[in-house]
Amino acid sequence: MKKKIIVACGGAVATSTVAAEKIRELLKKENIDAEIIQCRMNELESKKDGADLIVTTARVTKDFGVPVVHGVAFISGVNVQKTEQQILDILK
Amino acid sequence: MAVIQYIVDLGASVMLPIIIFIIGLLLKQGVGKSLRSGLTIGIGFVGIGLVVDLLNKNLGPAAQAMADNFNLGLSVVDLGWPGTSPMAWASAMGLIAIPIAIAVNIVMLLLRMTKVVNVDIWNIWHMAFTGAIVYVATDNFTFGIIGIIVHAIIAYKLGDMFGQVTDNYFGLEGIAIPHGTSAYMGVIASPIDDLIEKIPGINKIKIDGEKIEQKLGVFGEPTIIGAILGFVIGLLAKYPVGQALQLAVQMASVMVLMPMVVKLIMQGLLPISDAAKQMLDKKFSGGNYKIGLDPALLLGDSQVISASLLFVPLTVLIAAIVPGNQVLPFGDLATIGFFVAMAVAIHKGNLFRTLISGSIIMFITIWIANQMISLQTALGQSVNLVDVGERVSSLDQSGSPITYLLAKGFSLEMGIGFFIIFLIYAFCFGYTFMKYKKKTIYSDENNN
Repeated sequence: MKKKIIVACGGAVATSTVAAEKIRELLKKENIDAEIIQCRMNELESKKDGADLIVTTARVTKDFGVPVVHGVAFISGVNVQKTEQQILDILK
Repeated sequence: MAVIQYIVDLGASVMLPIIIFIIGLLLKQGVGKSLRSGLTIGIGFVGIGLVVDLLNKNLGPAAQAMADNFNLGLSVVDLGWPGTSPMAWASAMGLIAIPIAIAVNIVMLLLRMTKVVNVDIWNIWHMAFTGAIVYVATDNFTFGIIGIIVHAIIAYKLGDMFGQVTDNYFGLEGIAIPHGTSAYMGVIASPIDDLIEKIPGINKIKIDGEKIEQKLGVFGEPTIIGAILGFVIGLLAKYPVGQALQLAVQMASVMVLMPMVVKLIMQGLLPISDAAKQMLDKKFSGGNYKIGLDPALLLGDSQVISASLLFVPLTVLIAAIVPGNQVLPFGDLATIGFFVAMAVAIHKGNLFRTLISGSIIMFITIWIANQMISLQTALGQSVNLVDVGERVSSLDQSGSPITYLLAKGFSLEMGIGFFIIFLIYAFCFGYTFMKYKKKTIYSDENNN
């Protein structure tokens, strides 16, 4: 089944674009079919329905009822593999 | 030279793809990928042109009518950073700002003047914008380049200065946030926090914003902000209700479409961004350094989210009382949290103090943005994003003290306002710098 992933950051322009691109590459490599939606942090509440995973570049404390992965690694380049594994564990 | 001039004259939507394509080839990205990156940035540029037009053509006249009806000055639309960053990238300072900002960073690292290794290429647009505005103001290319360099030095230093804050409050260890409004306006919050601490009674007031987010969260959504603002301005413009509703939906559309088109510009920049990151990673890695990243990382904190909610109406209100102000806040409202995020942390999440320092931050920002209308309009027209006869502004980055002081300083247009802003900003910066040196920017001792 096609998965739905939301990638969020402050303005839905810069960091979420970088993260979304890296996640797209990861999913292609792992043969996972998914739709990636980018949005701002303050739109998460209204976009979360039906999502399998939320990746945010900012650290969030709020519970959305959807698994959240902190995606700062995609921006900083530190611990990328760990974050990728977290994402795969949730999607598989 | 004639060929270069010909390409420049075709405008940013052709020039940027060609440059990005060539850079892509030089970075060994292959023809296909380079072509795609180049075209993507061009598409982003065409897209932002459409959205800025949608905004200016509709909100512009409504704001003018509202201003006429009520003797309010708010007739110049704030394009926000999504509308302003493309101007910076398309300007003569746009892409050359990237190697300059990286070079400044490397020199500062080698001289041990900073620990920030900036891998955030996107936010170099802030520096490019300062350079572009200085260039427009002075017509002197060298001054523009100096503008980029000075802004870059200040930015990396801010990353160092707020290291204790980003480590402790936001839990972002190993990371620095040198960019954007969060950092450069954060210095204003530091003396204000200490001042409040000294006032008996007031220093005990504490507001926790968690509940505000639960109750009012929906009003912080960009689509809702756009719709409400469009509708209210439509009514104040004395439009019939039907037309006000049209304006409401148009402005909600602007809020949704803006990031969608601007992110294409970021996508086009990714090959450059990746290459720069790899190069810096190789040279500077390890515990001694902090990775410089985007302030977007600060916007997840719940107190920042609550403050962002409150500052949407507050910013519009402040715009109405700033003397002589013509700027109508709009494009930056969706991410107004950028302005106060560092302040929230300096106040350790106490929303009461953020309301005070944030109001002062927004007042200064709007006052400056108002002084910069003609310069930003000239820049916008030079890159074909603003039509003749239209006027535009932006809170981020036209409202920045750094951009303002450099532009007015280099063009020797220094009035009383210039010196007041200079004194306030120099004091706040110096004050925060001293606290950083004493390591008391985020100390637990004077904790409420």
